[in-house]
Amino acid sequence: MVDEVVDVLIVGAGAAGAAMAWSLSDTRMKIVCLEQGGWMNPAEYPSTQSDWELRQFGDFGLSPNGRGRPEDYPINDSGSPIAISNFNAVGGSTILYAAHFPRFHPADFKVRTLDGVADDWPIDYARLEPYYEQNAQMMGVAGLAGDPAYPHKELPLPPVSLGKLGHTLAGGFNKLGWHWWPSDSAIATVPHNGRAQCINLGPCLTGCAQGAKGSTDVTYWPAAVRQGVELRTHCRVREITVDEKDMADGVIYYDADGVERRQSAEIVIVCCNGVGTPRLLLNSRSRAFPDGIANRSGLVGRNLMFHPYAMVQGVFDERLEGFKGPMGCCIVSQEFYETDPARGFLRGYSYEITRGIGPVGTALSGMSSGEIPWGAGHHEAYEARFDRSAGMVAICEDLPEPHNRVTLDPELVDSNAIPAPRIEYRLSENSRKMLEHCMARGQEVLQAAGAHSTTAQGPLPFAGWHLMGTARMGTDPAASVVNEWGRAHDVRNLFIVDGSIFVTAAAVNPTNTIQALALYVADSIKERLANLFD
Amino acid sequence: MSQAANDSGFSEAQERALACVLDEIIPPSEDGRFPGAGELGLVSYVRKQALDLVPMIAQGLTSLDELALARGAADFATLPRSERRGVLEELAAREAGFLPLLLFHTFSGYYQQPPVLEALGLEARPPFPEGHEIEPNDHSLLDPVRARGPVYRF
Ligand SMILES: Cc1cc2nc3c(=O)[nH]c(=O)nc-3n(C[C@H](O)[C@H](O)[C@H](O)COP(=O)(O)OP(=O)(O)OC[C@H]3O[C@@H](n4cnc5c(N)ncnc54)[C@H](O)[C@@H]3O)c2cc1C
Repeated sequence: MVDEVVDVLIVGAGAAGAAMAWSLSDTRMKIVCLEQGGWMNPAEYPSTQSDWELRQFGDFGLSPNGRGRPEDYPINDSGSPIAISNFNAVGGSTILYAAHFPRFHPADFKVRTLDGVADDWPIDYARLEPYYEQNAQMMGVAGLAGDPAYPHKELPLPPVSLGKLGHTLAGGFNKLGWHWWPSDSAIATVPHNGRAQCINLGPCLTGCAQGAKGSTDVTYWPAAVRQGVELRTHCRVREITVDEKDMADGVIYYDADGVERRQSAEIVIVCCNGVGTPRLLLNSRSRAFPDGIANRSGLVGRNLMFHPYAMVQGVFDERLEGFKGPMGCCIVSQEFYETDPARGFLRGYSYEITRGIGPVGTALSGMSSGEIPWGAGHHEAYEARFDRSAGMVAICEDLPEPHNRVTLDPELVDSNAIPAPRIEYRLSENSRKMLEHCMARGQEVLQAAGAHSTTAQGPLPFAGWHLMGTARMGTDPAASVVNEWGRAHDVRNLFIVDGSIFVTAAAVNPTNTIQALALYVADSIKERLANLFD
Repeated sequence: MSQAANDSGFSEAQERALACVLDEIIPPSEDGRFPGAGELGLVSYVRKQALDLVPMIAQGLTSLDELALARGAADFATLPRSERRGVLEELAAREAGFLPLLLFHTFSGYYQQPPVLEALGLEARPPFPEGHEIEPNDHSLLDPVRARGPVYRF
């Protein structure tokens, strides 16, 4: 293959890479995206088979370490109480995501000003608002206007069905006078842009066989490819290379046959997520950048933020039909979102009401908690739980701390012998207090909704699915990795666009904001094309 | 009666013993709505799921027979039902992997079986392509939330 210089090279075809590629495609520049995974086939997703609940422990598992897919790279997360969860394919982690699709709040962009912690973002809600709107059209976001937790926003599609479970829990929130609202969800609740409408299959977290969930393989990518973007799958990038002027001049990658190749480019955009991106930057060492490209600040990989999650569950007398409907999208409560110093911690959290689990999930979780015994009493215990459990997860805002970081593992490598990432992460005192608060309040609201017994667990050890902060945005090159429109301070034709550039994490799922940022950075590039590298 | 392993990797006697074990793990319900896991034919499911571990299961079954023998029965399958749990627990204390492995596969296999799903009031099918009907939303429940007004900071 001849190494033809392309205008734009995007690495990673997940949430961010897809939005970026689509937005830039109207420039008619030559755009290539390299993705280590392949296209998924929705006809083979677990929900088409009777063992649908078990595949989440196998080839649709949350952790790349146990999934056994050749496109995965290992991650040493033994130094973190929260394990990394991702997916590597066209669509990236949106193949698995729940499609819970909230925006940040205006206050989330000015945390230092309002609460004296972390840092303000160099951009604000108003800057991203038009991009949230554009993203809602492209991803197909369902929701209900009028949520008093946000400035006014219109969503293009009607909200997801709450179902008996959602209505029951809403009753609990009303009893306590707490905020709740139907979740903003990237789910086609009516046919949208050629996508079929949601038929309430349930297991969104192992891929949507109906194509109603807005994973980017069915939203942005078909449009971007139609507009001329070349998406090269099964291509794993090893490093970004630089020329003698310290500009990025392309990448070295391995193709599907493991053959080392080079792709030259005028602009390189990294969209490999909050762990994959710092890994690639740190692996890109040169004379000019001995500690990794764009890392003169020493901040690449630092300030890793998750959202520490808690899970609160209750058992009800009545059946709740909880296995019907999108698993992670039902109702949300932001009663404890904004800071109240009286609670003993800064910042706050959202509750995301989750649907119930299926028959096998009920059996296995009851087995591991000891609530469903084997032998005598099995059926009584099972029936007391099956379809009678409901609850929620709490998404706590994590604060950036430099010691929480992604580095390169000295020994672990992927199948192309590229050094793998290693995670070092400690839960902060603020997060601990927040987790205690949300577990206690969560049990209260479930009891108000009619639960006769409740349990809570936090932090959830498997819930490292929001990966942020590891190449933060800012105006000061000594204190940030990219500027306020996503360009690396140290390399004028290198852009980073994913959760890595978040300054703070907010207390909502990040993907809507990741994509709004991608669309905003793409527009910033388009506006400056004449003098982009100045 | 042959002790040699057949195609399944278990001898016929071992298959019978395994069915008894599975019936101990999930016995038939007293009201007759739910069959026992062994009676439902879960032996072949367990074998398929734990193919690599068939020798370990077979070894566990041999140990169960030995424990039954010590209690005066010919083998586990002929041990009175009231004594089977005790024997299984005795083995679990000795051979850590055997019981958890069978518990996992029995619990996960049992709740995929059409008769069980139907007894739970479900349709015995994967979620796709039929999906599920859900009751319409009642947004009047949001009236008190709306009445409070904005709850965010600028
Ligand atoms: C189980 C689960 C549930 C989730 N639920 C939600 C939710 O409800 N709402 C929400 O907002 N978010 C959710 N998330 C998070 C969401 O999926 C991510 O925020 C989002 O996908 C991140 O987008 P991204 O483009 O930064 O990275 P990704 O989507 O992870 O894409 C990165 C892509 O880059 C590729 N890549 C990485 N390194 C290389 C390399 N060296 N060479 C070539 N390709 C490479 C990867 O293969 C991958 O496809 C969830 C995640 C998981 C795992």
